[in-house]
Amino acid sequence: MLDLSAMAEYLPAFVEGFVITAQVSIISIIGSFFIGLMVALARVSANKALNAVSLIYVDLFRNIPFIVLIFFGYFGLPEIGVYIDAFWTGCLVLSIAVGAYAGETIRAGILSVDKGVIEAARSFGFSKLKIYQKVILPIALTTSVRPLGSVFINLILTTSILSAITLNELTGASKIIASTTFRPFEVYVFLVLFYGALTFAISGLISLWHNRLNRYLGEGA
Amino acid sequence: MGYVDEGFSIYDLQLWAEGLGVSLWIFVVSTLIGLLLGGMIGLVRYYRVPVFAQLLMVISEFLKNSPVLVQLFLVYFGVPALLAVDMSPAQAAIITLSGNTAAFIAVIVISSIEAIDKRQLEAARSFAFSEAQIMRRIIFPQSLSLAMPMLVSLAINQLQVTSLISVIGVVDLTRVGDIINQRTFEPFIVWPVIGLTYFILAKIVAMVGTRLERKFSAYRTVNQL
Repeated sequence: MLDLSAMAEYLPAFVEGFVITAQVSIISIIGSFFIGLMVALARVSANKALNAVSLIYVDLFRNIPFIVLIFFGYFGLPEIGVYIDAFWTGCLVLSIAVGAYAGETIRAGILSVDKGVIEAARSFGFSKLKIYQKVILPIALTTSVRPLGSVFINLILTTSILSAITLNELTGASKIIASTTFRPFEVYVFLVLFYGALTFAISGLISLWHNRLNRYLGEGA
Repeated sequence: MGYVDEGFSIYDLQLWAEGLGVSLWIFVVSTLIGLLLGGMIGLVRYYRVPVFAQLLMVISEFLKNSPVLVQLFLVYFGVPALLAVDMSPAQAAIITLSGNTAAFIAVIVISSIEAIDKRQLEAARSFAFSEAQIMRRIIFPQSLSLAMPMLVSLAINQLQVTSLISVIGVVDLTRVGDIINQRTFEPFIVWPVIGLTYFILAKIVAMVGTRLERKFSAYRTVNQL
């Protein structure tokens, strides 16, 4: 029956896996945020070529399963002379794939910025760059904290797939623990609860942060 | 030594077609079971059936907030170890994906029921409609039209999630890609082809979805005339 004590001595291995999951997640969140920002700007720009390229990027990466992308990266990169390990392959592919989702979210934030505010900035003689820097992006990013948060929570859950390319993050480490203890049920139930608790905690924090940043925007923001 | 036949052969095309068939089959079956289960969970929660509503809510929250891959491992490795039963990879895949889809569908069901104007229900009650009639004649047609866009994007997402079943050994499209890639060492041909196949499938699902959306919201255009 359910016996979690059998797992106690494997706690260090579990923690080690968690550290890798945390590292990959943080690096990829930063990477996908910046890619997403560029994609969003390209999507709303007046330049037709940038528009088309960013649209294709988003459409492609949102409609191809992550595991296919990660296998392509893991087996494909060495073929073109890029020798990076599973950890960095994971960070790279996660950043590129989640960048498409982050881009669409930031774009929605940009499009929701009140046109009047932009016109006010223009009438004060702000340059286009300054309008983006000081008006549009700060508003767009503060209103997209919560939706971006769910994109990044999804990213954290997606890191589990990196166990398929031999990275022993949380899921990979647990798989080893499950096969050495012969207690797969307990290990995976614990893992489901752990991921669940982690995402609840993070989404709670994101909600608090979102509400705090948007406290002057009033209802419906 | 082991690699007698490097390079592609006509049989790879057959393998691709078989993988495509398996992916589609698992997708369709788990979506249908997921719709049924998710609809039931949604109704149990909407009518606030005591104990079941809370229990199902907790379970579906964990299904939505943990990796599908771990859920697959739990069902494929964990459940047989606990209950001493045999489980094939395909069975584990269908059980997991149906449950996971159901958890998301339950949320869509509840939110689209609750989006309906409460005054309509009161009006119907004052005309002595039974609760079953209200559900069938008033809530269901309108919530279906509200839910369609969400259901379509969920379906596109779940189509991609099916690729994870390759990890527990179901020979789906992704597993076929892995097998051919391991033999030919041509990642730049294999993975773009597999990726493009999923891409086209997603586009087909989206197209069918848009049709259904239009069909189920046809009553609204009549109102606008």
